[in-house]
Amino acid sequence: MNRRVLCLALLLACVAPGHGADGPAGVKVPAHQRFVLANGLTIILVPSREVPMIAFSGFVRGGSFADPADKPGVGSLVAGLLDRGAGKRNAYEFADALEGVGGTFSATAGAESISVNGQFLARDRALMIELLADALIRPRFEASEFGAYRGREIEFIKSAKDSDPSQIVGIYGRAALFGSHFYGRPQGGSERSLAAITREDVLAYHKENFGADKATLVFAGDLDPKWMRQALSKAFAGWGRSSAPMRKLSPAPRISGRRVLLVDAPGAAQTYFWIGNVGVDRRYSGRPALDLVNTLYGGRFTSILNTELRIKSGLSYGANSRFVRGTMPGEFAIRSFTQTETTVQALDLTLQTLERLKHDGLGQEMLDSARAYVLGQFPLQLETAAHWAGTLADLEFYGLGKDYIEGYGPALARVDLPETSAVIADAFPRVTDLVMVLIGDAARIREGVAKYGPVTEMKLADPDFVPAAR
Amino acid sequence: MPKSLAGLAALLITCAASAASKPAAPPRVPGADQVHSTTLANGMKVIVWTDRDIPNIALYNWVRVGSRNEVPGITGLAHFFEHMMFNGTSKRAPGEFDRLMEAQGGSNNAFTSENVTVYQDWIPRTALELVLDLEADRLSNLSFDPNVIESERGVVYSERRLSVEDSNDGFLVEQVQATAFVAHPYQIPTVGWPADIQGWKVEDLQKFFKTYYAPNNCTLILVGDVTAEQGFALAKRYLEPIPRQEPPPPVRTTEPEQLGEKRVLIERQAQTPLLIQAYKSPAANDPQGPAINLLMSVLADGNSSRLHRLLVEEKKLAIQVTAQFQEGFDPMLTWLQLTLPEGADIDAAEKALDAALDEVVAKGVTDAELARAKNQFAAGFWKQIATINGKAGLLGQFEVFEGDYQKLFDAPAVYDRVTREDLQKAAALVFQRQHRTVGVLRSPAGKPAEATP
Repeated sequence: MNRRVLCLALLLACVAPGHGADGPAGVKVPAHQRFVLANGLTIILVPSREVPMIAFSGFVRGGSFADPADKPGVGSLVAGLLDRGAGKRNAYEFADALEGVGGTFSATAGAESISVNGQFLARDRALMIELLADALIRPRFEASEFGAYRGREIEFIKSAKDSDPSQIVGIYGRAALFGSHFYGRPQGGSERSLAAITREDVLAYHKENFGADKATLVFAGDLDPKWMRQALSKAFAGWGRSSAPMRKLSPAPRISGRRVLLVDAPGAAQTYFWIGNVGVDRRYSGRPALDLVNTLYGGRFTSILNTELRIKSGLSYGANSRFVRGTMPGEFAIRSFTQTETTVQALDLTLQTLERLKHDGLGQEMLDSARAYVLGQFPLQLETAAHWAGTLADLEFYGLGKDYIEGYGPALARVDLPETSAVIADAFPRVTDLVMVLIGDAARIREGVAKYGPVTEMKLADPDFVPAAR
Repeated sequence: MPKSLAGLAALLITCAASAASKPAAPPRVPGADQVHSTTLANGMKVIVWTDRDIPNIALYNWVRVGSRNEVPGITGLAHFFEHMMFNGTSKRAPGEFDRLMEAQGGSNNAFTSENVTVYQDWIPRTALELVLDLEADRLSNLSFDPNVIESERGVVYSERRLSVEDSNDGFLVEQVQATAFVAHPYQIPTVGWPADIQGWKVEDLQKFFKTYYAPNNCTLILVGDVTAEQGFALAKRYLEPIPRQEPPPPVRTTEPEQLGEKRVLIERQAQTPLLIQAYKSPAANDPQGPAINLLMSVLADGNSSRLHRLLVEEKKLAIQVTAQFQEGFDPMLTWLQLTLPEGADIDAAEKALDAALDEVVAKGVTDAELARAKNQFAAGFWKQIATINGKAGLLGQFEVFEGDYQKLFDAPAVYDRVTREDLQKAAALVFQRQHRTVGVLRSPAGKPAEATP
């Protein structure tokens, strides 16, 4: 049993290496090489000899944004099938080769890209490159693998509904907030949408969206850059460009007014809730101030949210808030849960904290405390080669320079109270403009939550993450 | 932590495998010469591992108390106590511990298991003195405000609802564990039974504090930007003054040998049925531990693992299978957990699982499977060692459960020496039907979950 919500098991690393770090504000991006192959593939190499491993992180642009509008989840199936048979190896042979050397490979579809991550013992670097190239360039998408994998993905959604409602409330939340905007699509699909996806959909997605020009791979760890450059250039030379250009992304508007989606889970002991509106994007100029304000509001243990909902009242094991910042503005969302009987009390408290933040702002002492906290914790996120691989891939995806990392500490140091007031006004939603999604026992809470706004109902067992159109 | 591992890299390159599945000869674990320990006058052991890669320190305090030290009436108390350790002392009001630590750039957490309670702080190096002062304060001067007790009771109950009452998986695991043990307090769920959660009194907490939170019952571990000299000096200043206490009484009850399979059926709304088999197994420091862990890897670690391949890919009887050897001071359980697809034939899944286990017992594993498991262990080991947090966790695990943190540095070699015969022996030892408890969770017959019509 962990003390804190969302705490990971004992031995999961808290992230991050740091080379040449000379103080919390002195995190430096490690020396690295970046080059682009003739086919447009971007490669970044980060030598780091702390442990005898090589970690890789990368992406292929597209993600669920590239799904057919009526078939969310195609990209997710593509991602999951990349290693289930590629090149000369069928699914078992690929797994056997990968796992036989203790290597890992995972691919996931996010909103805007499919990301790949993994690690190998450094001695297996040649095999790593071979498997990675096969998975990205020549996955087999065999019919039997496709059918079985799709079937399991449908069952995993049901399993999450059975055992982990807090994990999926965000999927309902984003769908309710973003509507038909692509950020509202369930990235892994829904039970209904997955069932309708065909192998042809998967093949078409890979053909149209996978190409060297849309991809970046970052390798960090016990590597020789010269050898890696040669080997990667050779292995990926045959990767063609994608056939479909990247479509232009557009932002979703903030919603006004307040509305409620009630997802009925009969007999639930708790109500799991998600409250949000559209926030800001990755390039938001107020990022340092925003990070400090969100730390204070819902990003650390003594946050305003957690203080009210957990520490002072005991209503919940935890409450938090965060901004998701993509190429387009993602959501700002508050998440928590409470016993069914105290649902309204917890929701009222939550809205009160937001109102207080908007109305009262912050004091200097709290600002300084948040600053020290973020600075103190920052190096822990950048400790290992794997973390640098992920971070550099992230910077590449959003076109951010190393100042995004190295300038962060100094920028945090400069944030003053007027700046925090500005981001509170600009980025945080008003309590009157919110989507509220509740997974809970509707029979016991529908009357109480009607006061928050127009309520739409559906059932947790429904095969979509949105109410059925009537 | 030495930045240059040229010698290590050379060793690894010359060991480059010709066949992909050969295990590498285990290299010496770097940093072994950066770890030092001392025992304070009051019996608290302090271990410091200097690693200057980032200007931070991971601090873990391992207290040898968990739910195995509980009895009916106070189940869940060790875990509740862990919560209360953050909630005020005679010198600092509730909430000050967290406010002070966060204002200095630190974050913290803790966890309670059946065996131990571990307090974790992740701080910039500049906060070490403050944090040792805070840790010493709560070890000496913890106080229990009645209002805080009540609100924290609510927090713990919310945690129980999240992880058990609204989770089919958590619910079944709790029932299987409570059934597997007839005598030993491992039958007690760490979060506590609901009636006991409602019933804890301040006297329970006071007695618990006195009994278990002795400095001689704790092991303090510091990993990061700190020298042994600095760490020991601060530990001596802040923690050594805490008086030694009578060691807590040992857990006396041993579980009698199980002489027949036990079965638990839970009927609860479920789209995906669950099947668990939990087998009585040795304790954490058993010499067969590495063999059992490697066996779990062969069975269920990855898409090429035995049980995954058979039950998920080939027979499609399950969507997921996991295998875990649960390690404790006393013998615990080896858990096999299957998530089944909706409408699955649970009996067929269990029969197939049993047949697979019989085969491993009868014929053991292949060379390739053993090599794979060793490589998976090696890769996992290096990933943990790569962070100060991982180092702190590993040091504590070896010191507390195996009696000697130095064994951490032997682990790659120990695992490398395990043979196929060892795995077959481990399978025969663990997978005995009369030692198992089987749990099934499914919807009440004829009542599937309802969707909107």
